[in-house]
Amino acid sequence: MYWYGAGTDLSTDPAEVAARLRAAKTDMTTYVPCDWRQAQQLGLVRDRQEYLEAVRQATICMAEEGIAAAAQEKDVELLQMVRTLDEMDTVINLLTERLVDWYISITPSFSRKYRGSGAGAARLLPMIGKKGTEPMKKVAKEILSMSAARTSLMKEVSRKAVVVIPNMSALVGGLVAARLMARAGGLAALARMPGSSMQVIGAEGALFSHIRTGTPSPKHGIVFQHRRVHNAPREVRGAVARALAAKLAIAARLDYFRGELDAAFVDAANARIDGLMGTKMRTETGVRK
Amino acid sequence: MISIDGTLVSEGAGGVYGERMIGEYRVWDPYRSKLAALWYLDRSVDLAGDAVVLYLGAANGTTVSHVADYVEAVYAVEFAPRPMQDLLVVAGRRKNIVPIYGDATQPQRYAPLLEAVDLVYQDVAQPNQAAIAIRHMPFLRSGGRLILMLKTRSVDVRKCPEEVFADTCGELEAAGLRVVAAVWLLPYHADHAAIVCERV
Repeated sequence: MYWYGAGTDLSTDPAEVAARLRAAKTDMTTYVPCDWRQAQQLGLVRDRQEYLEAVRQATICMAEEGIAAAAQEKDVELLQMVRTLDEMDTVINLLTERLVDWYISITPSFSRKYRGSGAGAARLLPMIGKKGTEPMKKVAKEILSMSAARTSLMKEVSRKAVVVIPNMSALVGGLVAARLMARAGGLAALARMPGSSMQVIGAEGALFSHIRTGTPSPKHGIVFQHRRVHNAPREVRGAVARALAAKLAIAARLDYFRGELDAAFVDAANARIDGLMGTKMRTETGVRK
Repeated sequence: MISIDGTLVSEGAGGVYGERMIGEYRVWDPYRSKLAALWYLDRSVDLAGDAVVLYLGAANGTTVSHVADYVEAVYAVEFAPRPMQDLLVVAGRRKNIVPIYGDATQPQRYAPLLEAVDLVYQDVAQPNQAAIAIRHMPFLRSGGRLILMLKTRSVDVRKCPEEVFADTCGELEAAGLRVVAAVWLLPYHADHAAIVCERV
C-alpha cells in the first residue's frame, strides 16, 4: 500500500494520507518503492511536479502535527527551565567573579583573606553595590536582580517537577529530579535508563575516563546533590547512591508510564535508603564504644 | 558539482543559514557539511541533476539545502522535533525537498511515501549505522549509491576509529554492497569517515 492509497480508497489529501500511514503495516521484505507514474495513471496527479507537491504537502502536514505533539509532552518545558536555571548560575558566577576582581584592582587595601568563613564573591556584591564606582554599582545591581530571578525560577522548577515527575521528586526533591531529567534529555529517555546509568549521570567525564583508561569508576553524578548522598558517611556513600539510583529508575518509569504519585512505593524506597545509612551509623557508634 | 576557483558552490536562493555567496552561487563549506568535505577529498563525488536522493539524518537542513540545489528531489528524514522545525522552514522555500518526520531505525513507518532513489545519503549519530543503512537498501535502485557518513565515536567510544571503520565496511559488504571508496574526512571532521558503496 502506498501513501496515495489503493483500490477505492484513493486521495492525496494530507489528513487522509496521515491516517493511511498510521494504519499501514509495511513488510520490508516484500516492499517495492512507489512509482509516481502509477499515481498518474490513477488520475491522482497530472505530472511529476504535481506528484512531488502532493507528497510534500502530506509529509509537511504530518511533520507539523508530530512537532506539535512533541511540544505537548509535559516534560518539554521543565527541561528548558532547568537548563536555563543552570546557565543562569554560570552567568551569575562569572559576572560576580569578574566584578570582584575589578573592585579589588582599584581598592589596593582590600583582600579576600581573613573575611570570616565565607568570603565568597557573592557576599561581596552588596558592598560593591554601595562602595564601588558608578558603573560597578550598575553591574552589581543587575547581578542582584538576576539572582532574584534565578531564585524564583528555582522555586518554579521545583513546583513544576512535583507535577511532572512526582515519584522522582518525592525521592530526591524537585530540583535534583529535574536536573537528572534534563541531563538524560527528557522523561522518555530517563524512563528507559538503567539505574546504573542514572547513578552516574553528570559524571560523564569520570565515567568515560574509567571506560577508556581504567581509572576508578565514579560513584555518583547529579545524585550527589541530594542530601542523603552527600551527607552519607564516606564508606556507604557509594552504596546509598547505588540504591537511590535503582529506586530512581523505578520512579522514572512510574512517572513516565503512570504519571501519578505512588505513596507506597516512595515510602518503601525511602525506608530502604534510610535503612542503608542507619545500619552503617549504628555499627560506627558500636565501634566507638 | 560546480566549483568556482576550487571553492565548492551550489546554485540556488541564498540565506538559508547565513552562507557566503559568490555572485548567484552559495558557498558549500566543508567544515560544516560532511558531504562538501568528501567532495574536497574525492572529486569523483557527484550529484546528478535528475537524481532522487533519500537523506537520512537531515537535521536543520543545512546540507539538505545544498543537495536540493543539485538534484531533482530529496526525501529528507529527521527524527528530532527541534531540528525538524528548521527543516520545515527550509523545505518551505525549496519545493523539491520532501521533509519526513520519522525514525530512520523504523523505515517501514514511512516506506509508503518513498520511491526508488539513486542515492541514499546517511548522516545519523547512532551506534548501529551500518544496520540502518542496510535497512534502507530496498529503496535504492540497483546501481545506485550509498554514502554513509560514519561517526565512529557514536558507534563505540572504546574502540579505536580504525577498528569501527573496518567493522562497518565488513558489515556493508556482507549485506551485498560494493565499497567503492572510503575516505577519512580529515582535516575537516575528526573521527569521521565517508564510505561510498554501490548496490549491485
